[in-house]
Amino acid sequence: MAPLENADLLQGTLDMLILKVVALGPLHGYGISQRIRQMSNEVLNVQQGSLYPALHRLEKRGWLVAEWGESENGREAKFYQLSHEGHRQLGKEAATWERMAEAIRLILGAAAQEG
Amino acid sequence: MARWKNPFRASGRDEALDREIAYHLDELTKANVAKGLGADEGRRQAVIAFGGPEQVKQQLREVHTSAFLNRMAFNLKSAMRFLRRSPSLSAAVILVLAVGIGANSAVFSAMDAVVLRPLPFPDADQLVVIYQHDAKNRNANHFVAPVRLEDWNRMNSTFQSISGYYTDDLSETSGPLPEKVSEALVAPRFLRVMGVSPLLGRDFTADEERFGGPDAVLISYRFWQRRFHGDPEALSQKLHVSTFAYSIVGVMPPFFSVPNRDVDLWAPSPPDAPYAQRRDSTWFTVIGRMKTGASLSEVLADLRTVQSRLGAQFPTPDAELTVQAMPLKETVVGGVKDSLWLLYGSVSLLLLIACSNIAALLLARTADREHEISIRFSLGASRGAITAQLLTEVFTLAVAGSLLGLVTAAAAARAFHLLSDQLPRAEEITLNWRIVIYSLACALTTTMLCGLLPAIRGTRKQLAHSLAQTSRTQVSTRNPLQWTLVGVEIMLAVTLLTGAGLLLRSLEELSRVSPGFDQSHVLTFQVTGSWGETADMKTLVQRIDRNLEGLRSLPGVEDAATAAMLPGVPSLYQLEFKIDEHLDPNRKILADSRAVSFGYFRTMQIPVLAGDACKQRTTTADVIVNRSFADRYFGGWNPIGHRLGPATENFIPAGTIRGVVGDAREQGLNTLPLPTVYWCFSAPDPFPNVLVRTRGNPSAMAEAVRKRIHEIEPGRSVYGMMPLQMHLDEASFENRLRTILLTLFAGSAVLLACIGIYGTLNYLGRIRQREVGMRLALGALPRQILARFVLQGFRVTALGCAAGLILSLGADRLIEDMLYGVSTLDPQTYAGVVLLIVLVATTASLLPAWRAARVEPVRVLRQD
Repeated sequence: MAPLENADLLQGTLDMLILKVVALGPLHGYGISQRIRQMSNEVLNVQQGSLYPALHRLEKRGWLVAEWGESENGREAKFYQLSHEGHRQLGKEAATWERMAEAIRLILGAAAQEG
Repeated sequence: MARWKNPFRASGRDEALDREIAYHLDELTKANVAKGLGADEGRRQAVIAFGGPEQVKQQLREVHTSAFLNRMAFNLKSAMRFLRRSPSLSAAVILVLAVGIGANSAVFSAMDAVVLRPLPFPDADQLVVIYQHDAKNRNANHFVAPVRLEDWNRMNSTFQSISGYYTDDLSETSGPLPEKVSEALVAPRFLRVMGVSPLLGRDFTADEERFGGPDAVLISYRFWQRRFHGDPEALSQKLHVSTFAYSIVGVMPPFFSVPNRDVDLWAPSPPDAPYAQRRDSTWFTVIGRMKTGASLSEVLADLRTVQSRLGAQFPTPDAELTVQAMPLKETVVGGVKDSLWLLYGSVSLLLLIACSNIAALLLARTADREHEISIRFSLGASRGAITAQLLTEVFTLAVAGSLLGLVTAAAAARAFHLLSDQLPRAEEITLNWRIVIYSLACALTTTMLCGLLPAIRGTRKQLAHSLAQTSRTQVSTRNPLQWTLVGVEIMLAVTLLTGAGLLLRSLEELSRVSPGFDQSHVLTFQVTGSWGETADMKTLVQRIDRNLEGLRSLPGVEDAATAAMLPGVPSLYQLEFKIDEHLDPNRKILADSRAVSFGYFRTMQIPVLAGDACKQRTTTADVIVNRSFADRYFGGWNPIGHRLGPATENFIPAGTIRGVVGDAREQGLNTLPLPTVYWCFSAPDPFPNVLVRTRGNPSAMAEAVRKRIHEIEPGRSVYGMMPLQMHLDEASFENRLRTILLTLFAGSAVLLACIGIYGTLNYLGRIRQREVGMRLALGALPRQILARFVLQGFRVTALGCAAGLILSLGADRLIEDMLYGVSTLDPQTYAGVVLLIVLVATTASLLPAWRAARVEPVRVLRQD
């Protein structure tokens, strides 16, 4: 799939993606952006300008816990990790997303049939 | 939008952001290099891809800007806006709080300095005053013999050490004129017990504390400033006091004022002096420093054991004596403690009234803002956020009020200093950080008290729906909460008012009392002397009689006399007596014992009812009794010619009753005359009070009197010269001051309660305009409307009054001891208070009620 350049993620969606990616294990900011790209088959390319504010916001809300640690290449990096509340939040947001996506699909599907 | 930088660890945070971003850039660069770009190009691409590190950093900073501070700033800003929008309400609230918090902080500063803080000595709570007590003979003399003091100090096991003092008023004669100095003669170890070292120089040496050792003296800071202008060279000077030439060995620090603040010198009183060996001589006020951890009851038990051992060793007089002890602080501040607590309680009530008043005002205010609040609700504000905003408004007001209040408190601290003659430790009252913190705590408490209720009320959930209502549907909502607050105000005001009323009534009673003597046209003073003179009583009596003779011959002087105690200035020296050697064990004869000279009864204009007044003699053989004594102990017979003496051995010999005089309030103007025995003796001590009856204004005679004494006794000085009336005023000063203050507080409380009634009715009148208009349109008469409003205010007033009276019944018992001639249940006071409150409250409700009833129906109904 071709990358969606400058894709405006739906409000709140980026937060959910970050929570999901971090749920797989502690990761630094660069790693998170790489992982989102890989996992979306290179479709989603998160702008750093929105990634970092989102990370810090999530940390401030207590959904992420940040800690300085050593990266795979031996440098010091800030690692983010999912907190207990973050886990719950992820569950909630994923469920909401599922319902929303289902709803949108239903509408679009109906429209396609009509059209 | 203004950017709020987080003030905490801002630089540390920035550095962390830099590191985090740098890592990301490095990784991107590395990936680019791996793709085959050069190092520089890889870096450039990375920065472009990242989207401007500085911009990102700024975004991150904004994320971290404290939401709390943001919210606070917002609340403060909107609070300021709100305050500016209703300046008169804000000013009223700030003023009420300034008075409330100011008065409270001022009284607290006095409480704190006088009652709460320890005395200015290290571990001051270890210091106790120890008395000997002759329980059996009811001898009121608590002073202690020097030998006994040394015994106690040696034999006890619970004190670090024990010392004591007595004072002499002497003349210092090294200057051109003799100057009166107050000298404290101290037992050994005095400064060690007090835990204070001299500011300059040193403590006494063991040699100086022994009899025959070098004559050394410590001088007070004030004396040092007065005589030597603070010159350290004073340490090499000599002072000539009576027959001594003292070397000055040290200067005490300014705060050291034991035994009193007038003391100029401290000199050792050697316990091994030959004249100090009698066990029945009583000199010292004893102060001991308890061992760390010892309690008052432990040291008392210890001293009593010691005393019973002494009693076994020296049956007379030690077997008769027991020991009593009291914390030193108690003896310093004991008297004014109750008054201060009373004042503190009153100002706290006042603050409480101010709070309920403001709460009522704010309730009306939040009701006015229902619309604004409901809009904010519908825009998604949480109840907590709105409550926080409302509280911030009140807190802003409270802080402004408490700052103004601090200014009041600072002024009050100065006023307290002026009272230093009457108020112990007054010079320690200052505006310090404790007072500032206290008044801020007041502001916080006030915020909670005043603000919470309106905030909770104002943000009730159903209010959110009020947006849907138009005010057209708003019919007379009852306002039980607001009326309750007004009722509470009235209740508290009534309580304060009855207290003030009782004190006022008691002052009035006191002013009506006829003391039995005439204090006008009497000048009083003392002449310096030394206890050493009592070794030769005959010469002492002659000296004092010579002074009196000289005064009597002065033009403008009607008579002159001496007395050990001033008449009417509270004092009591109660002794047990026996008559004619006959001692009926079932009949105790107790009387106040006073020493007066020839001429005393004429000077004081106390009538001689039978027999003679005092004659001029050099012994104490003549005795005069007052009418109460004659009536109580002689029944119907004539007391004249009977022998009267102390029931047990005493330094006062028995005498013959020569006369009976009228009852006089010698023991204090607020005390009924007690049975009194007058010993005709002009020299009860070396510096008795001299009383001079003048033809004209007594103060005008002061110079002539001073000159005459100087002619007779050039080596002595005259001090404490003032009219007797001033002594009596001073004695009742505390009483008058607390009455005036309490009356002031009560007046303010009534005023506040009136503002409460006025404000509430005014507000009700406004929101019920439509209803009133409707009623009027339907044919109601304006005077019916007026009556309804007034009656509503009256009902609350009546309930508040009733509750207040019940509260007073309990509260007034606290001031029972301060009353004279009125019972705490004085019906006159209670009736007066109720009448006053009802009158004032009704007056306060008339104007708003009249305004409410004057609505023009057509105009109101047309609105909206």
